[in-house]
Amino acid sequence: MTGTEVGAPAQRPVLQRLAGASTVWIALVLVALCVLFSVLRPDAFPTLFTLQTLLIEASVLLVLAVGMTFVIITAGIDLSVGSVLVFSGVIGATLMEALSAGGDASDAGIGVVLLGLLGALAGGGAWGLLNGLLVARARIPPLIVTLASFGAALGAAQLITDGVDVRTVPQLLRDGLGFGQTAQVPHMVALAAVVTLAGAWLLHTTRFGRRTFAVGSSAEAARRAGIPVRAHLVRVYTGVGLLSGLAGFMSLAYFGTTTISGHSTDNLNAIAAVVLGGTSLFGGVGSVFGTVIGVFIPAVLTKGFVIVGVQQFWQPVAISAVLVAAVWFDQVRRRSRDRR
Amino acid sequence: MGRMRAGTLGVAAVLAVLAAGCGSTGTIGEGSGGGQAAPPENKNLVLLPGVKAEPFYISMQCGAQEEAARLGYELTTQAPDRFEAALQTPIVTGVLATRPAGVLIAPTDDVALANPMQQLKDAGITVVEVDTRLQDESIAVSTVSSNNEQGGVLAAQTVAGLIGGQGKVLVLNTKAGTSTTDARARGFEQEIAGHPGITYLGQEYTENEPAVAAQKVSATLAAHPDLAAVFATNLNTGEGAATGIRNAGKTEQVRLVGFDASPNQVEDLRAGQVSALIAQDPATIGRQGVQQAVAAIEGRPVEPEIQTDLIAITQADMESKSQYFYRTEC
Amino acid sequence: MDGSGDGLPLLQARELHKSYGSVQALRGASFDLAAGEVVALIGDNGAGKSTLVKCLSGVERPDAGEILVDGAPVVLDSPTAARERGIETAYQDLAVAPDLDPAANLFLGRELRRPGLLGALGMLDKAGMRRQAAEQFARLGVTLQDLDVPIGALSGGQRQSVAVARSVVWASRVVFLDEPTAALGVVQRERVLDVVRRVRDTGVAVVLISHNMPEVLAVADRIEVLRLGARVARFTAADATLEQLVAAMTGALTHEGDR
Repeated sequence: MTGTEVGAPAQRPVLQRLAGASTVWIALVLVALCVLFSVLRPDAFPTLFTLQTLLIEASVLLVLAVGMTFVIITAGIDLSVGSVLVFSGVIGATLMEALSAGGDASDAGIGVVLLGLLGALAGGGAWGLLNGLLVARARIPPLIVTLASFGAALGAAQLITDGVDVRTVPQLLRDGLGFGQTAQVPHMVALAAVVTLAGAWLLHTTRFGRRTFAVGSSAEAARRAGIPVRAHLVRVYTGVGLLSGLAGFMSLAYFGTTTISGHSTDNLNAIAAVVLGGTSLFGGVGSVFGTVIGVFIPAVLTKGFVIVGVQQFWQPVAISAVLVAAVWFDQVRRRSRDRR
Repeated sequence: MGRMRAGTLGVAAVLAVLAAGCGSTGTIGEGSGGGQAAPPENKNLVLLPGVKAEPFYISMQCGAQEEAARLGYELTTQAPDRFEAALQTPIVTGVLATRPAGVLIAPTDDVALANPMQQLKDAGITVVEVDTRLQDESIAVSTVSSNNEQGGVLAAQTVAGLIGGQGKVLVLNTKAGTSTTDARARGFEQEIAGHPGITYLGQEYTENEPAVAAQKVSATLAAHPDLAAVFATNLNTGEGAATGIRNAGKTEQVRLVGFDASPNQVEDLRAGQVSALIAQDPATIGRQGVQQAVAAIEGRPVEPEIQTDLIAITQADMESKSQYFYRTEC
Repeated sequence: MDGSGDGLPLLQARELHKSYGSVQALRGASFDLAAGEVVALIGDNGAGKSTLVKCLSGVERPDAGEILVDGAPVVLDSPTAARERGIETAYQDLAVAPDLDPAANLFLGRELRRPGLLGALGMLDKAGMRRQAAEQFARLGVTLQDLDVPIGALSGGQRQSVAVARSVVWASRVVFLDEPTAALGVVQRERVLDVVRRVRDTGVAVVLISHNMPEVLAVADRIEVLRLGARVARFTAADATLEQLVAAMTGALTHEGDR
């Protein structure tokens, strides 16, 4: 033996690690956008009202995107989130109407509302479980499985309602969750924040999160290391389903209707948010914080353009350009940091 | 824990920037300064149509812009990519932040847009509904729309005339919950009931997608090969229905009565693919909407309900009624 | 003499068959291992060495044949089943998760949790894992540029060192090392062989698959030769010559050693 080496390499200083964290750079892009719009319309953009409406309007997508982060980190994908959201909202709303006198849920009490929530979660979880089983056990590629459930869940929702949006939503739910606020913090935002923090905790500090990264980085290595890969994938997809169910209930509270036809691009928006935040579509890398940034960059762009008064047809062009630029910038940085 | 620390710092940075510019204006559900009217030098109006790039709304925009300019106001337009409440809501709240004097809006859902529009009203902004309306009638000071039910009645009469009072008819609706098309379908249904020789096959929903409209027509033709007429309740369904009928090769057999006079539909009418168009008058809706908004802003009396006329255009009289064709640019 | 152990053989394979579609990887392969010995498993390309290792470590299941641990037949239906019997493997393809850091890879599947309630909720003791990983790497002479980068950013040699270290750290009875020095430089190769000897001295059996004949002769106690999916020769390292080994691999010689 030629002698042991001197101790392990020391951890790099915090500042250096911070500069290396790619999500910080994306966050700077977001800050830059906020500054830009604030300069252009100082009377309208940097206000508490704009912040509140931005947060509320992003909260449903944020809940979806947190779940999507886990899925994409496992090198999978879930195209069904928007449809499962609609399905869960339909289940919740129909259940609440069924439990109310005369099929009118407007005056329903807290008990009915909570049962509606359970129904929505169960509906979402069921689709998530189905997706997970098909991906993990039947070994069908996630793209195909969730493309199928994207259509099936929406179809099921339309079957249940005959294509007509459910119109009576408990006022208690609308006032409590949809529009309620405590100390200037809207409840929708608080709920989304709780989900986000819980997701971040789960992903970055627990064994479940570490194994999610492992499965995405190399499913075979994880398998050989004794990690139950298939069971883990089932849990991840079920989790996304549950979050889609919650998002459906939140959407019901906010809009007061099931908006059956209004969620066809939720899946792509969630995926874009996750990828924009630095999560790799190839799996193994990602963060919840990045997803938060990824949700807010398009939201700030859209809101900013409306406030500044950009001609409406420029908005999607400009938004796409910023998205591509932000991801390209992140890729360049990533490549220069890694790779030998 | 690099990521967690980075995350916390980042969130703090974003909040700091926003809080730094934090004005005291506006919280949700609360008006600024108790909802007082806009100061007289605020000459900004905003038009919020239901969706971008639809000739009906563009014609409305043209009429509104002309009238606004005539009255000394500035009108801008912001519309969502798709006819969806989730897309229109952020635009409404964004426009609210810019504090116009008045907003003309076509709500994309009669329930979901109630809260954002209430916020507009609470902030002291005059709200006028154009085209579609909310279930809650307390928010808008005025609603200007086509008498859609009368339009449906007119369509039924036109259909009856075209098929000689005999045959099967289908109605194509868009998305459930759209007040306008529902009213048209309702008017049609009521009027057609008075024609005993006509069999009403019911209405199909097309999600406002021409492709779906074409599919529904093909499916109906498969089930009822002797279909005599189709009433399409709006522009997109009309375009789709014409395609479906053409693909089935039944242009001679099936009389199509469309709603709205978009350029494509006008061409179809000229070519005989469509037998008649029930045209609204979106330019007048835009003009009237602006007039009512300005009246409310300037403290003059307001007409709470204005119904504009619809007319039927056939191949025969189309040239004399060309002012009712919808425009694609102002 | 079969190895240096006495009593029951630690691990045995009897007449294993394994096919992948139409390719027969193992045609009645056998293998014997006693505690505290280093056995080299050699053979030409396609002889079935990696497949045999995968069957004995639970990654694959043989189509036919028996595997015995301590003389009793067992079914190794998953890598976990093998690990529970104290069998660890460093695979030829490394089987590391490229996006996780070296400490995370070391503890892959065996993550340390924090004590108390937080641990019960699943929270990881990342500082503890990093510390222990640093200690183990130092003990085994594995030098890494950076302990906090994804292992994919390190060189192939460093990745291989971590994979070898991982199998050695956790093994309690048998370690399979499949081409453990393939990507390593001279100094590192020597260290791995040192580690092999030390592991053997603690009573853990080591199975070394290698193409490197001098290396094999330097460190192994016994040598078993596979050809075309079956065992064709067994040698004790002391009695074997390079020519004999090569001849056995190419089929010119079958030698069952001193039975």
